[in-house]
Amino acid sequence: MKKQLLNAYLTNTSYYLPTQVLANEDITAKHPEWSVEKIATKTGIVQRHIAGNDEFTSDMAIKAANNLFTTGVDKNCIDYVILCTQSPDYFLPTTACIVQDKLGLNKNMGALDFNLGCSGFIYGIGLAKGLIATEQASNVLLITSETYSKYINEKDKSNKTLFGDAAAATLISKNPSFALNGNILGFSYLTDGSGYDNLIVKHGASKHRFEKGKDEFTEDVFVKNDDNLFMNGNAIFNFTSFSIPPLINSILIKCNIAIDDIDLFIFHQANEFMLDFVRKRCKIPKEKFYIFLKNCGNTVSSTIPIAMAEAIKDNRIQKGNKVLLCGFGVGLSAGAVVIQY
Amino acid sequence: MVIVNEFIENFKAQFLDSDQVIFTEETTFRESGDWDSLTGMSILVMIEDEYKVSITPEELKQCEKISEIISLINEKAIA
Repeated sequence: MKKQLLNAYLTNTSYYLPTQVLANEDITAKHPEWSVEKIATKTGIVQRHIAGNDEFTSDMAIKAANNLFTTGVDKNCIDYVILCTQSPDYFLPTTACIVQDKLGLNKNMGALDFNLGCSGFIYGIGLAKGLIATEQASNVLLITSETYSKYINEKDKSNKTLFGDAAAATLISKNPSFALNGNILGFSYLTDGSGYDNLIVKHGASKHRFEKGKDEFTEDVFVKNDDNLFMNGNAIFNFTSFSIPPLINSILIKCNIAIDDIDLFIFHQANEFMLDFVRKRCKIPKEKFYIFLKNCGNTVSSTIPIAMAEAIKDNRIQKGNKVLLCGFGVGLSAGAVVIQY
Repeated sequence: MVIVNEFIENFKAQFLDSDQVIFTEETTFRESGDWDSLTGMSILVMIEDEYKVSITPEELKQCEKISEIISLINEKAIA
């Protein structure tokens, strides 16, 4: 007889934002051709948090996890750590191993990093569900932690405006023993590596380890430096516009759910203009589309867990609700999951 | 052929302050409303959706007036 796979539940989520803040006023002071109001209306962002000079991905991951441990999550129950980052402390070792030790977690556990950006939280839930369903783990700590600010060029006003640093920690458990437990129903994934160079830090890793970039400009406007984070905004906008509506359709079909039966949609919080554009293309009503990026910006893989934690605080996610999460970006990569609370 | 009034409506809809701006074929759109690079991106997606024509960001950069975009779409639709 085929053995029944176990359910996995998305339970508590906490996050951490670094103390240092970059406000729209700070950006316009250096780039007076932009206005404070215009940045706010267009991006929906008023400020971002920036990791300190001596604060790194593992430090933020630990703070987010310690916040989670104040919500009733017992750290001794954790038997697997999955950490999503593209700005690890070191090339090696694995950041999740450092985090296991510094959090004082059990040694009898698995720990690994995976490299994804804005779609990472969805993939992390997928991996965690697989570990629990196959009884390799019972309580998975999923951490997303990113310090893109360390990759961004000082002259790059576009990326400086969009991205903020943050970490989030989520417990995915086989036990629905918390106040709010989301049964993880189904997934849809999408990968298109042909767009790999549209969001990239080219230099520093093994392929271009010793090459030195220089600032490149078009008509006095900073375009890129290969030592830093580069984003082809047009290409990412197109990828999102044309790939996300079919991805949403596919997951609804897979889970056999009508779009009207979803109570809340939480997409990767890229910027408000693009979110609104994609929302309309997916035919999602505004009142079912959660936005939370005003005070933290685009925190890459942490935008969805941060928004989810806020939506729960806001009572926008309640028992009985179906919630659809969708992440998209660097890779290019996207994924969606439906959660039944 | 692109229906001019219809195109102007579709074009206008991409602006956040679309109720406050008046567009004609002769409008130099970069000086209008809350235009910025994000508006440009959504206009390119709109053109691909509505007119099944793909215009690159570089081609859009060459256009100053709405009429020039319309000509570009018409040329590409024939080709």
